[in-house]
Order: sequence, then structure tokens, then C-alpha cells
Amino acid sequence: MSAPSKLAYFVRTAVGSIVRSPFVHVIAVASLTLALVGFGVARLARAQLDTLVDALGGAVELTVYLADGAEAEQVDALGAALTQRTGGTVTKVSPAEALGRLVTQLGEDGRGLTDLPDNPLPWSLELSLPRGAREPRALAELAEKTRALPFVTGVDYGQEALERLTLIARALEVASLVVFTLVFLTAVIVVSATLQLAIFARREEIEIQKLVGATDRFVRVPFLLEGALQGVVAAGLALLSVVALVRWLDGQGGELLAFARVRGGLVVDWARLAGELFGAGVALGLAGSFIAVRRFLRV
Amino acid sequence: MIQMFHVTKAYPGDPPVLVDINLDIDKGEFVFLTGPSGAGKSTLLKLMFLAERATRGQILLAGRNVARLRESGIPYLRRNIGVVFQDFKLLPTRTVAENVGFTLDVLGTPRDEVRDRSLKMLRRVGLEHKADVSPLKLSGGEQQRVSLCRALVNDPALLLADEPTGNLDPALTVEIMDLLTDVNARGTTIVVATHDATLIERYQRRTLRLEKGTMVADERGAKAARLMSQTA
Repeated sequence: MSAPSKLAYFVRTAVGSIVRSPFVHVIAVASLTLALVGFGVARLARAQLDTLVDALGGAVELTVYLADGAEAEQVDALGAALTQRTGGTVTKVSPAEALGRLVTQLGEDGRGLTDLPDNPLPWSLELSLPRGAREPRALAELAEKTRALPFVTGVDYGQEALERLTLIARALEVASLVVFTLVFLTAVIVVSATLQLAIFARREEIEIQKLVGATDRFVRVPFLLEGALQGVVAAGLALLSVVALVRWLDGQGGELLAFARVRGGLVVDWARLAGELFGAGVALGLAGSFIAVRRFLRV
Repeated sequence: MIQMFHVTKAYPGDPPVLVDINLDIDKGEFVFLTGPSGAGKSTLLKLMFLAERATRGQILLAGRNVARLRESGIPYLRRNIGVVFQDFKLLPTRTVAENVGFTLDVLGTPRDEVRDRSLKMLRRVGLEHKADVSPLKLSGGEQQRVSLCRALVNDPALLLADEPTGNLDPALTVEIMDLLTDVNARGTTIVVATHDATLIERYQRRTLRLEKGTMVADERGAKAARLMSQTA
């Protein structure tokens, strides 16, 4: 048998089987879809978590207060030294700018500040740190070293808030890993059991094929094709479900996730998610079919 | 074609089903395998098409020692063996013609040829008009003939038939036996398991008799017929 006619036979057999017993295939696709929706939601949650932590982490800044007598050149030199040491971005805040901010913050209560004969506020530097330097321990070390620099009178970086945020981020990361592992393992078990049920209904066909001289590969290929096809259909349905979920969350269901909102709607890399869903669907369908058909080949 | 040397088959925890079987069936022979129910006829056939493996002893099929045959080699050996099962083993989800062509599909025969050869085979047993119906709509005798068609459609070197006339009326029995005789005349070795004494008396072929898993007689021609009339 030539390769194309063999392939045609396998496709014909796979499609014929789906047409002949659609119910078992609907069950298999449903279980695959549920597993893939779980997978998709886990990936979505993980992406939102990363974005959230990233955004909150981005707000971490080190504020360095300088002595009253510091000149503009000395402030520049210190800023350059901090940029070089940390790889972060330094923003200079002049005494006048600092006073302006304070007045704005205090509102009505701050009106009196503008009448002061001298501005009591010093120069300060706001250092925005790169991702790698946001660890609480590294930040404490940096603050300690910065305090020892000339003209520096104080350093503030919201130590307590940062430690709490880091702890929450780690806990969420571990939780998402546990949830993802549980969803994946459940998917493999459920999908393999469902496909086994579907193949059980055709054990007689497998037995006869084996008895009339079919090789294991010849018997297996149509089942693998069916599994892959089920995986593709299930991945498409799962993707549609995730799209619907994201639309709902971006619309009326958004209030539920208001605490996690960083900017605008949910951040989703659709191309990547689609690729992962179709890849996982085909892999699950193939693996499930392979495992399920194996026990019926012993004739 | 088939040689067995001191073959024993036993299942764990049960007494042996076959004990120390020795036999030699030549290429082109027509052999009846007889004996009461539970004598081990079906098990002996299963050993011949490798659905079971012997617990002890050696089996040679077409000169090949099956004990040394790898699992992956079994399908290729089975392609030369046609089997008619006692329970027919027809697929209810396929048409009669598709059931007959199943063997040819496995061999990789082109689709059109599968259909042509299946119809030709069905014509020989008078069932061409039922080609496109489900086997569930056939009588027991018709299903048996379809099962026979599937076993013969690829011209196997060896045909094993377990009670192939068990559900047929006398006229159809003769028709099927004539078909088997014709197939045998073209060179196919045939082993028919049956406890139909009249069949053995009428056709007077070599007859092997099993009792409680032991081969108690191996007779040919008229002697076989006499053996059956004594033990029937």
C-alpha cells in the first residue's frame, strides 16, 4: 500500500469511526475541552499575576535626601554614581519642586507653606530600580551603602511594604504552580480514562483487526488521528471559552478582579495562548489515545 | 503445514486444556477436528493462529517455530491464515461487504479491489444482495457465511474453521462444505472443528479426535467415518 493510500485509509477509518459513534467522541472532546479550559485559565491567571507583580515592582523607588548645602553639580555627581551602581534611573527633585509637590498633596492645609521665607526642603534623588535589584535584602544593602555617601542625610524605600509584596508574590507563584500541576494531572487522568472508554467500545474491532493480521501500528494510527483531531476541536472550543471569559472580565465581570487591575483590560498574548492550547490539545489527545489503545492490542 | 510436538496448554490454577498433543498436518490436507464440547478443539485452533501460546512443547507453522516468533512477527504469519470463528466476530457497525473486506484492508489492498473481491466472495455464498446491510440484519446461517467469506477473501494458505456449519440447515451445510472442498482443491490447507458426525461420515476426510484435552484418534477415510459412528 502506498503512503498516500495508507494515509487515506487511516483518515477514512478515523472519520468513519467519529461518524459511526459520535456520542463517545463528544464525551472525549468535552473532557479534553474542560481540561484545556483549566489549562488556559491557569495560563491567563499566571500572566495576570506576572503583570501585576511587575507593575507593583516598578513602583519601588529609593528616595535619597541630601544635605542642605549640596550644590547642583554635587547632586548630579551623586545621581550619576547611583545610576552606575544600580543600573536604575535617577530623577532629580529640586527643593522648589519638592515644595510644590508637598503643597499639592496637602491641599488647603499646605497654603501656608508658600509664605515661608526660605524653602526648608533639601535636594533629593528618586532612584527607580531595575527588576533584579528589587529584592528586599539587596535593597536594604543598597540603602545602607547610599547612607554612607557624602551629602546623604537619609534614605527611604518603603521597606515594610516591599517585603510584604515580595512575600505575596512568592506565595501566589507557588499557588499558581500547584494549581497548574493539579489541573494538568487531572487532565491527563480524565482524558486517558475517557478515551479508554471510547476505545473500549471498539475493542472487538481491534481484536478482529489483530486476528486478521494487522500490525499494532496499523491498528493504532487511526486512533491517534482521532485523538489528535479531538485535541484540535477541544483546543478551539477552549480558546473560544477563554476569549468569552476575558471579554466578560473586561466588561461586567471586571469588578471581581478590580484589585488585580493594573492598567486597562486584561493582558493576554493571544497568539501564544492559542499555540499552547492547540499544542496541549494535540499532545493530550495523542497521549491519551496511545495509552488507552495500548491495553487492547494484546490479542 | 502444521506440526505439534508434545504440546500442552494450561491456564494458571486450572487443569490442562490440552495434554501432550502431537500432530502433523500436511500442506493441502483437509482435516476434521472433532470431540465433545470442552475437549479442547477451540483451544487447539487458537494455538494454530497464535491467539494462545503453548505452555509446553513446540509448534511449527509453515516450517516456522512459533515459540521463537517475536510479537511483531505474528501479524505477518496470520495474514496467511483465514479463521472462521464460532461466534462469527462480525462488526455490527460495518456493512456485510465491509466486514468481508476487513482482511483485505489490513493487507493494504486498494479500495476498489477490496469492494470487487468482497462482492465476488459474497456471490459464491449467495449473499451478494446483502452486501450493503448490517450483519445484525442477517440470520445466524448468513452471518456464518459472511464470516467464512472474510476468512477466504485473501486466499489464505491455511483455513481454520470453528463449527462453520453449526447454524446452517442441511442444504446450506452441503453448499458451504462444497465451497470448502473447492478451496481445498486449489491448495488451501483446511482444519474444521466440528462435532457434526454426519459431516465427517459424508466427507470421509482425515479426522482427529480430542477427548479431555488428549488426542485419542487420528483416522483417515472410511476409518474416520467408522470412528465417528462408534463414538457419536
